[in-house]
Amino acid sequence: MRPILLQGHERSLTQIKYTKDGDILFSCAKDQVICAWFSANGERLGTYHGHQGALWTVDIDPTTTLLASGAADNTVRLWDVRTGKCVKVWDFNTAVKRVEFNEDGTKLLAVTEKRMGFLGTIVVLDIKVDVEAEQSDERALTITCEESKATVAGWSYLSRYIIAGHEDGSISQYDAKTGDCLYNTPAHEDGMQVTDLQFSLDRTYFITASKDKTARLHSSRDLTPLKTYISDTPLNTAAITPKKPFVILGGGQAAMDVTTTSSRQGKFEARFYHKVFEDEIGRVKGHFGPLNTVAVDPLGRGYASGGEDGYVRVHAFDRGYFDFGYEVEREMGLVGVGKY
Amino acid sequence: MISNAKFRCSSSTQRTLQRRPDWADDDEFDDPNTLPPQTITTNKDGTKTITTYRFDDTTSKRIKTTRRIKTTTTTTTVNPRVAARRTWPKFGLEKNHPPGPSFDTTSVGENIIFRPSVTWKKDGKEGEKKDAAGIGGTDKEKLKNMKVKCRICDGEHFTARCPFKDTMAPMGEEGGAGGGGGGQGDGSEDGAGGVKEGGLGSGGGGYVPPHLRKGAAGAGERMGGKYERDDLATLRVTNVSEFAEENDLREIFERFGRVTRVFLAKDRETGRAKGFAFISFQERADAAKACEKIDGYGYGHLILRVEFAKRAT
Repeated sequence: MRPILLQGHERSLTQIKYTKDGDILFSCAKDQVICAWFSANGERLGTYHGHQGALWTVDIDPTTTLLASGAADNTVRLWDVRTGKCVKVWDFNTAVKRVEFNEDGTKLLAVTEKRMGFLGTIVVLDIKVDVEAEQSDERALTITCEESKATVAGWSYLSRYIIAGHEDGSISQYDAKTGDCLYNTPAHEDGMQVTDLQFSLDRTYFITASKDKTARLHSSRDLTPLKTYISDTPLNTAAITPKKPFVILGGGQAAMDVTTTSSRQGKFEARFYHKVFEDEIGRVKGHFGPLNTVAVDPLGRGYASGGEDGYVRVHAFDRGYFDFGYEVEREMGLVGVGKY
Repeated sequence: MISNAKFRCSSSTQRTLQRRPDWADDDEFDDPNTLPPQTITTNKDGTKTITTYRFDDTTSKRIKTTRRIKTTTTTTTVNPRVAARRTWPKFGLEKNHPPGPSFDTTSVGENIIFRPSVTWKKDGKEGEKKDAAGIGGTDKEKLKNMKVKCRICDGEHFTARCPFKDTMAPMGEEGGAGGGGGGQGDGSEDGAGGVKEGGLGSGGGGYVPPHLRKGAAGAGERMGGKYERDDLATLRVTNVSEFAEENDLREIFERFGRVTRVFLAKDRETGRAKGFAFISFQERADAAKACEKIDGYGYGHLILRVEFAKRAT
């Protein structure tokens, strides 16, 4: 496969996201600009200007109408995807580290940083999926993380729960209506931050990546640990591939140590693990900095990775990827496109 | 030659023309500063040949580019929402840019071969282990288990100290020496095969110089190439007077046939002959005759001794 290199950012990437149809890719970096790219050929559709600080997070609603972003300028912004205009700004006390739409795009959660005497919070905002509509300023729900601040969060199936990953390596499940904490379990080593949390397509389970060099699969319903993927480097991101039972992990030497190590030792590769058997099955090289974010095409045709080096690499899987399977899988006739 | 890729340039040839062409070639008398128009011809197999001309910026030469293009239409069903988004006008930094990826933001990386495999980790680990052993083990450690082994008799002493040094050839070389002569004459095919076999076949025991490999031509090629002496028709003359001259020797030996070379060894400092010489004849028969006649011939105050020169080893 020949990856497409996207050089739209001048600083390290923080998050990339595909639309639900997998046709457009949104990338945000610390250089305050969001870029929209066609994933098929790498053509840039446009850029979204307005943020005054490093962008931490971006998300697209399921209908590809509205784009949400959170940045270090303490705002969450809502954009018209088509024209690049900012339609709404919400101000917060601290930087916003993560935003995510729920399954039908009517709610948006935002994770705010713990800083300057403010505790970390998870805020839910009501969204009207219409560019023209007036969005409300009200916070529908505010969850305060008193013990350890939340670093990542997302919506479970049917928007029933909010799942959050914390700085101390634990994950917790909140009731999305009331904001009550239902479960809080240590998922990763104590004190090792959860760096990424991505759901499966049906949102019944999710993967967390952590600085403790492991990624784990958990059930959304009761946070039961399902699988553990062990790597040899701190992980920044993890994603679950649709169509094939794999997970992709990304990470590498911490950004501050990068200049002291060669790119071969730095482990700046995307690692593919078998979701069920937990074995590493391959790596994809290319970045010369740690991988900060990995996103998978919801249709399973490819994946994109964004690195500390400022590049986004968009990969389209080729036949070897789709034809791969364990002996057991072959016997059960599970190998091939669309079998899982 | 043409694959089913959507657009694939199957061949491109470049021909550069001088900007000021030779008048003899210039049958149309066209202005060298204008370019001929682009021509598109449709071939029988459905492909198109497009010929375009342009000036090279740096060398100001006219460059003709011929491209053969096959267009294959592949139909894919696209979600109408996705299709609609493809027609959206560009905005932000991309505003007013033409459709299609722009070169400053989008490029195509090197081809990556990604083949998931069950044994991926195992393969990787083995490689690492090998590496570690290679780097970690010092030369001394490597040599620790080595034993001195004679190449002639397999005994535990250096080859040079072998008691059978003068009577036995090194083991496994007899065959090689026999086959050596044939390699040169039989043609390149045989020779190449032999070298390959010899180079790889010796149990991976390190580097074998080309002339020692099985099937290589005897002592190998010497420097000097085509001026190589023909030792078969060369005589060695000893007991030559130290006042002898090359011309005198030539005179003596020319009686028997055509002499191609006369070499008289001389002392570098005094310039006097050292007492021996080599005479090369064109024909071996002449040399044999000279050898017979001159051996024992008195020259100066000494009696010459003549014999066939031994092949230098």
